[in-house]
Amino acid sequence: MSPEQTPSTLQLVRDARSWLLRGRLPVATAVALLMVTLVANLLIAENFLTAFNIRSIFANVIPLAAVAVGQTVIVLGRGIDLSIGTIATLSSVVTVSLVEPLGLLPAMLVGLGSGAACGLVNGLLVAVVRLQPIVATFATSFVWSGLALYVLPPGTAAAPRMPDVVVQGYRNSILGVPNAAWLLLLIALSWLVLKRTALLRHVYAVGGDEQASYATGVRVVRVQIMTYVVGGTYAAFASFAMLANSGSADALAGGNLTLVSIAALVIGGTRLSGGAGGAGGTIIGVMVLQLLTSLLVALRPPTDIRQLIDGLLVIFALALAGLWSSRRGGR
Amino acid sequence: MNTAQLRERMQAVEARDLLRHPVVLSLLVLVALFAAGNVAAPGFASFGSLTNVLRIAAFLGVIAAGQTIVILGGGEGIDLSVGKIATFSTVIVAQVSQGQDERLLLAIVTAFAYCGLIGLGNGIGVAYLRIPPLVMTLGMVGVVTGIIRVYSGGQPEGRAPAMLSALVNGTTVGGIRGSVWIWLVVAVFTIWLLRGTTFGRRVYALGANRRAAELSGINLQRNLVLLYVASSLYAALGGMLLLGFAGAASINLADQYQLISIAAVVIGGTTLAGGVGGYLGTAVGAVVLQTMRNLLIVLDIPAAGRQVVNGIILIVLLSLYGRQRRLRQ
Amino acid sequence: MAFLAMRGVDKRFGGVIALRDASLHAERGEVHGLLGANGSGKSTLNKILTGVVAPDRVDITIDGRPAAISGPHDAHGHGVAAVYQELSLIPDLSVTANLVLASEDARLGFLRRRADRERAAEVLGRFAAAFPGGNLPLDVPIGNLSPGEQQVVEIAKAVARRPNILVLDEATASLYSAQVEVVFEVVRELKAAGTLVIFTSHRLGEIFELCDRATVLRNGELAGEVTLADTSESELVELMVGSLARPAGRGHQVATQERAARLEVSGLATDRLRDIDLSVRAGEVVGLGGLAGQGQSELLNALFGSTRVRQGTMEVDGRPELPRHPKRAVTAGLALVPGDRTREGLLPVRPILENLTVPSLRRRSRFGVLSHEREREAARSAAEQLQIKYGSLDDGVMTLSGGNQQKVVVGKWLLTEPSVVLLDDPTKGIDVRAKQELYELITALTTDGVAVLLNSSDDDELLGLSHRILVFFEGRIVAELTGDGLTAERLVAAALQVASA
Repeated sequence: MSPEQTPSTLQLVRDARSWLLRGRLPVATAVALLMVTLVANLLIAENFLTAFNIRSIFANVIPLAAVAVGQTVIVLGRGIDLSIGTIATLSSVVTVSLVEPLGLLPAMLVGLGSGAACGLVNGLLVAVVRLQPIVATFATSFVWSGLALYVLPPGTAAAPRMPDVVVQGYRNSILGVPNAAWLLLLIALSWLVLKRTALLRHVYAVGGDEQASYATGVRVVRVQIMTYVVGGTYAAFASFAMLANSGSADALAGGNLTLVSIAALVIGGTRLSGGAGGAGGTIIGVMVLQLLTSLLVALRPPTDIRQLIDGLLVIFALALAGLWSSRRGGR
Repeated sequence: MNTAQLRERMQAVEARDLLRHPVVLSLLVLVALFAAGNVAAPGFASFGSLTNVLRIAAFLGVIAAGQTIVILGGGEGIDLSVGKIATFSTVIVAQVSQGQDERLLLAIVTAFAYCGLIGLGNGIGVAYLRIPPLVMTLGMVGVVTGIIRVYSGGQPEGRAPAMLSALVNGTTVGGIRGSVWIWLVVAVFTIWLLRGTTFGRRVYALGANRRAAELSGINLQRNLVLLYVASSLYAALGGMLLLGFAGAASINLADQYQLISIAAVVIGGTTLAGGVGGYLGTAVGAVVLQTMRNLLIVLDIPAAGRQVVNGIILIVLLSLYGRQRRLRQ
Repeated sequence: MAFLAMRGVDKRFGGVIALRDASLHAERGEVHGLLGANGSGKSTLNKILTGVVAPDRVDITIDGRPAAISGPHDAHGHGVAAVYQELSLIPDLSVTANLVLASEDARLGFLRRRADRERAAEVLGRFAAAFPGGNLPLDVPIGNLSPGEQQVVEIAKAVARRPNILVLDEATASLYSAQVEVVFEVVRELKAAGTLVIFTSHRLGEIFELCDRATVLRNGELAGEVTLADTSESELVELMVGSLARPAGRGHQVATQERAARLEVSGLATDRLRDIDLSVRAGEVVGLGGLAGQGQSELLNALFGSTRVRQGTMEVDGRPELPRHPKRAVTAGLALVPGDRTREGLLPVRPILENLTVPSLRRRSRFGVLSHEREREAARSAAEQLQIKYGSLDDGVMTLSGGNQQKVVVGKWLLTEPSVVLLDDPTKGIDVRAKQELYELITALTTDGVAVLLNSSDDDELLGLSHRILVFFEGRIVAELTGDGLTAERLVAAALQVASA
């Protein structure tokens, strides 16, 4: 080995090691989990590779994926949104009720706007009024779901439905790839675009060290508000997928997305205290959760222990991911 | 300034401080709620109505006691599994006792033991594996859901023994129900636990400044585990009371307490950062939340409006003193 | 008139005078040293210039115009950039992102990464030799760099602001000599381009190598302004210490030689400490001297089990004991008064009573049940012994003055009856009276046979209280001062690693 090589080789080893140890270990863990669940599905679930199964996996995963990506942006900025599922609900009932009078696209625009507006309110409460995010968004979750009930009371006769084009399109394929999978790709792309903005850079900075960011000139309050607005917009996007998947709106549908979205982002390697991680990992986390479910369906364990296995697997995945992401937590 | 003026000013300061005290503030809100309710629906502020509120608030109050302890301990401490653990407790008691009084004691001991083990799991995850509390306890919700399913086969059997129902629902002097007395005992015990024991002191010390507490010789990890065990035991007790009230268990009887217990704690003036607050505030917070719920029912607002108003009042309550520090200039 | 002129600077912290009519004059294109012994006020003067500390009185002119600096933001506006030992970087962001943070090149909200990267490369390129192989770690997260490399990036971040005045306050402390050379090279370039660099360092050699002139402070006052080419090391030291060396006032320095050693440490090493051997006898005060941050605090934390020890042995009263956790240290009879009162010593939101009794709860309880009377009694006696001035024991501890807060931190350990007391700068930022009372307490402790290890940033205090002083430099004990050697000159000379004074 020539003397010139030594430093560069050393550098290489050092880079690889630190790449894995510091930044990427959480994501590497998530990818490994994805591989394991995927292979397990391939081995165990006989119907796994059928077009129908793949289509329905993707169709089911989109709402969670969109909400979880939104939640990721918020968590990266050291926030959390316990109302994000109810924002999706509200936005879905707003959209579906307006399809008839306004037409599909205008209705979706209003739906998108309502999601962003909910996010704005959350952001103002957290960043300007400076309420603690957990309780503030828990409180607003009542408001959003109440508004959803108001817009579309359950049990309404002749509840509005989405046009068949949308419902059909959601289940169809283009070029042999399910449309829902294209949508997942779109979500991933939207993240890549978002990540190139100055806003996201500042979100990472604020999540990493609020005080240092402030001292360096980052406009912390505005950045925090924007994370919630972006999160609300993603929730609105999730609501479209929910509508397309079922054809109609359910004023109670989105609620359980919230906590699962947090589980997905933690599995995907995003640090709960902010500043590290990303939506790429979150999407992997969403897929892991979905594949675990499908694996359980295939395994056909006695129905009684199915949920227990599911719970244990999820907590195992969370613990594995939480272990890495908490190492550099705290300060 | 002469002495009289000085004294006057000091009294003014004291009065203002008192008004800023979260417990006092919550009590004022409570009075305001009852007053408003009485205007809208005469009879809302009656003694009977009050005891009815207290009777139901007891379940939240007991479950939120554990939540208070975990949050006081700081370090982003939070227990999202209290609701599910309480549900588990209702299932255990119903099944083990099979509605028979003579098996009640066994059922209670079993419920405490199982739920305590779950709390132990939470504590080990948080203290030794250093998993963030929010994630750890959230994951535990899924596990307990599964355990309940296994334990009950999806259809909890049995029901509350008559003795338990009588204990919880029995009417005593002045129409006060048994659950209120039990809650009173729990409240006194909890306040004593936090103020009169070394455990309580350590909880506050850990929440106030983890580093300083460790440097004062407090074993961080062991005490963290104790926090989560305590929380699960309170949740178990809350579940038992709820079973006595409801008569029969179901697989999600107490789930709703997961987040509302946190709201009760925060409204009671305990900060999520830890180290500040106490159980008295949480107890008042639980009553405030229950009163609000009853008021909205009495006002006969449709479900949608009820939810919206509920959320807005929560936000207002939180803004009164749940605010964080500003970034310093 | 000088480019930068600070005149008539006064600053008090509580009852302590940090600066009295101090002044500083420096020109463009100059590297100006700012020197002084511990507690001379040089850091305070720096922080007044950068807006971090609000002065009681100051008259600053920059380029002939009066400059009102009321915060870091104003300082930026006047072209002042500063680098301290504490970092202001975001560990998870890449080096590039940190260098351009809040001044990113963006079009329609989208980052122009290539432009940012080029800008970062240009700034950091001047420091290329500070990185292995000259490769700029532009895309590496800051947290992955070594402390020295991080410090270089911090300096680059300040340079990137194109300041007229660059303050480097111990900015080279965590750098290796090769990295120091690189930084010096950039500083010389800045100087050539007309920038004023104000430079503070504990390494006297660096001052001589880099600076043209230097301002020397002593006890918060201007001691002199020198041209370094015409000054010798010993002249400089004399200027920093002053000519009137006071006699050591240790009346109680008797007969500790015969007493048994209570604390014995040998071969101790941590990440920052090497080869620490020491022994403290009953009734003895051993001072830990040297410039601030040379490992004194680290040693106290290591002995107390709150910093990881790599190797070494330790005995307390003859029992082998190397605590891995503070709880074990407390049980073994150690007590630590930490250096950062608010962050490590106090429970800020809790009352005085709880702060005082936290380490000794077990002594006043049975089966975990507290005896409120005994607890209150104990707290009251500790408060009395320390003459803590309080309204009620139930008042919040932060309602006390700084001096009384510190007494609470000390007082809580009286209640555990320790055999070895570790004091980490116990009188920092407290008033004269409280200081005097703490001194009396230390003396009383030694009379009772307690062994004391004292770190202090105040050299007079160290000389006045210690029977012996161990002088630290970059993680090692480099000198031991005893008996007649306990003089200010010897201490400063040993701290600066100057052969003799």
